[in-house]
Amino acid sequence: MTYLKQIEDHIDRFPEMPPLSQQLLGYLHDPQVDFTIIKELVQYDPGLTANILKLANSVHFGAAGKVSSLQTALARLGTEKILELVLSLTVSSRLKVSLPGYGLQAKDLLRHSIWTAVAAQELANLLNMKQVEMIFTVGLLHDLGLLLLDPFIQTERLRFNQAVDAPEASFEQIEQDILGLDHARAGGMILAKWQLTPEIVAGVQGHHQPEQSTQYQDLIFLIHLADMLSLSEGIGTGEYGLQHNVSPHTVKAVGLKKKHLEYVASKTLDKMQELEKILS
Amino acid sequence: MTLLVVDIADMQISNNPGDTLITYSLGSCLGVTIYDPVLRLGGMIHCMLPSSKVDKEKAKLRPSMFVDTGLQLMLSRLYESGLRKSRAVVNVAGGAQVLDSQGVFKIGERNFTVLRKVLWKNGLLMQTQEIGGNKSRTISLAIANGRFSIKSGGKLVHYDVP
Ligand SMILES: [Fe+2]
Ligand SMILES: [Fe+2]
Repeated sequence: MTYLKQIEDHIDRFPEMPPLSQQLLGYLHDPQVDFTIIKELVQYDPGLTANILKLANSVHFGAAGKVSSLQTALARLGTEKILELVLSLTVSSRLKVSLPGYGLQAKDLLRHSIWTAVAAQELANLLNMKQVEMIFTVGLLHDLGLLLLDPFIQTERLRFNQAVDAPEASFEQIEQDILGLDHARAGGMILAKWQLTPEIVAGVQGHHQPEQSTQYQDLIFLIHLADMLSLSEGIGTGEYGLQHNVSPHTVKAVGLKKKHLEYVASKTLDKMQELEKILS
Repeated sequence: MTLLVVDIADMQISNNPGDTLITYSLGSCLGVTIYDPVLRLGGMIHCMLPSSKVDKEKAKLRPSMFVDTGLQLMLSRLYESGLRKSRAVVNVAGGAQVLDSQGVFKIGERNFTVLRKVLWKNGLLMQTQEIGGNKSRTISLAIANGRFSIKSGGKLVHYDVP
């Protein structure tokens, strides 16, 4: 017996996506969309506008020269980037909770998510994988499923603790065995319910089994590797975080080397800390 | 008792007996403490990566990010404060890793290799070393008595100064 049915019920009660993101999402992938529409949606929230500007000027997102108005930010970064920023700002508040089942303190998940998002982009740049869209958003959202599974892990604490003591036991497999699904699939289910775009859903859903993906492979590979690096570096690892499988197929497919990881890790920390201040 | 938290890629030194140095969630990172029981002087560092060669600019800004530059810096600071090599108690923990059959994520192992080199160059031996595996660790050092503690997977183990 697993918890699949109960977990599915929980998804129905999972909080809706913030309304503003929902509206903006409607305009994504619409080449005709006018900047003024987005500007109108965003500008009545001065806090949000200020934070969009901060993000747009951060080292991670920043283009040459500072942007000081929403208009320039929109013109400079484009609709998709702005949408990513708004989604990031609205979703990040959900990631600040502590998750006792996973052994994560408040903000651990947020930090882990930002690290993964930044590292995925750094890795894309280093490996010359251009134009991978929505990489920041998927990085930020990849472990959203933890929020859904955490209470069930608390309930089954004993079985989880036994299972992780087996050598080479991978946590995504243990979740699958005990709960009937892993947090990647759980996250995908939430995002599908939020009606996010297919690449976001696929990226989140596939982040622990990247070799099984058929679409959006670059995105999924990058998120997977960035996630593994984040856990390796102890960022939001919690109790069980290091017990995840690195996909050999993915390592080979992108030609990943040790030096890539070390370089990306050295670049990511400062950017993560800057973004953490803005997003929390 | 005051808890002084050592962040990732950071270092702290104290000779205040009321202080306990602590660092959380060491994955492949290394946590190193060095303690002088006579002076009740101790330092702790949380290094992410083995070698500063990967990013020399960064190493200038954040020497503690790397085992080579970080450990050397902590040693110089401790020597400046009076640490004697003959009394130094060195404890090391961390160097864990994710499940990776390809070996590219063996950052922990490489961290430890560089660490041993730096210690060897400085003529220092390790008192405690708990390295590897795939569980993260939290370590602390009590300045009052040099007690070194490792918490991992719900277990807490103490190591006292010999
Ligand atoms: Fe995950
Ligand atoms: Fe993750």
